[in-house]
Amino acid sequence: MEFTKQEIDAIFPKVAEVIADALGCDVEDVKLNSSLIEDLDAESIDFLDLVFRLERAFKVKIPRGKIVEDARGDLAEADFEQKGVVTEKGLQRLREFLSEVPAERIKTPLKAADIPRLFTPETFCKVVLRAQKSAPVA
Amino acid sequence: MGGRYGAFTFCDRITEYVPARRARATFAVPPTLSQFSPCLVAEATGQLAAWVSMAHIGFRGRPVAALARDVRMLGDVHPGDTLTLEVDVEECDDDAVFYQGRARVGDREAVQLIDCLGPMLPQDDYDSADDLAHQFALLCGEGAAPLRFGGVGVHAMDVVSSTDDARSARLHVPVDAPYFVDHFPRRPVFPATLLLDHAMRVAADLVGTTDARPRRVSRVHNVKMRDFIRPGEDVELQVSRVEPGDDDTRVKLMAKIGERTVATAQFVFVRAAVEVA
Repeated sequence: MEFTKQEIDAIFPKVAEVIADALGCDVEDVKLNSSLIEDLDAESIDFLDLVFRLERAFKVKIPRGKIVEDARGDLAEADFEQKGVVTEKGLQRLREFLSEVPAERIKTPLKAADIPRLFTPETFCKVVLRAQKSAPVA
Repeated sequence: MGGRYGAFTFCDRITEYVPARRARATFAVPPTLSQFSPCLVAEATGQLAAWVSMAHIGFRGRPVAALARDVRMLGDVHPGDTLTLEVDVEECDDDAVFYQGRARVGDREAVQLIDCLGPMLPQDDYDSADDLAHQFALLCGEGAAPLRFGGVGVHAMDVVSSTDDARSARLHVPVDAPYFVDHFPRRPVFPATLLLDHAMRVAADLVGTTDARPRRVSRVHNVKMRDFIRPGEDVELQVSRVEPGDDDTRVKLMAKIGERTVATAQFVFVRAAVEVA
């Protein structure tokens, strides 16, 4: 496990507030493991917005559009996806990286373009924690 | 009148420019216009942020309007006024620009843009990078010829349904219009600010028919442009009251093309000031 439950729980309330503000929904509707797209009607532009808002809320620098890239890790692109579909190796990598997502949701065939459909509030908690650990901003 | 960099470009001269950070510009509103909507003032401010962000990335990409947390409409701008536009760019790169902006006439604030975000799209799909770079140099130098904007014309709009709490109107986006020369030369897109301008009229009509005292829009918040609107498309502007209030009236907008939601926003109306003779 990359982060402990305590670490996630410590920042979740603030992340949930940011998500609710960005998506215009009630904070009570933001559950740790909701699908942002399927349950909270987020769209790709919302992820960009979320990253900006989280940067401001937590005073960290978050590389944009890097969640999928980070998920791929050291796997070569051709090993991660082929013709736009995530490979078995890629799925395995995603199950590890997006450990907060129930494994049954990460199943073949998964289009690479649909990876953001897996993102949950916990995914963004981890994004914040990674940013805090890598280069905290005063 | 009109033409490239005149039909829908709202910057005559950039008077202060700190690369990737800040800019100030002027725009003279032609006195021949019948009106100049606050949405166009917001457009002018957003365009200045676009110039700064495009210049920063060598005009490889261009931002498009996507999100605005808050657009505060503080005062009217009239034909003949000269706008001073200011933007503070908090971040810009090949992915997006995030900025704050304001427009004023003299010392009087007209519009504030708070927390605006525009994703960058490949410039070659929309415009000529070289041409834009040349125009930017002109704006930062002697400036462009003023008073070229000739208005946006009148767009056909039909009421689809109407109740005390909701209204729906269909806006017919023209197949061809002068502003598409600027927005954008290689791929025309109906400007988000024109969409909001029309939606604001539908919302004002809804509020005006049931409230005894006149109200004006003071804020548009949580603007979210979800998809492009192409020339010739019909957009259904659905507005509905979200909550009653003594101090303000809030109206929610959902703009749809068929089943596809293209924009959402919320308008806040406040009581118009009563003029005392």
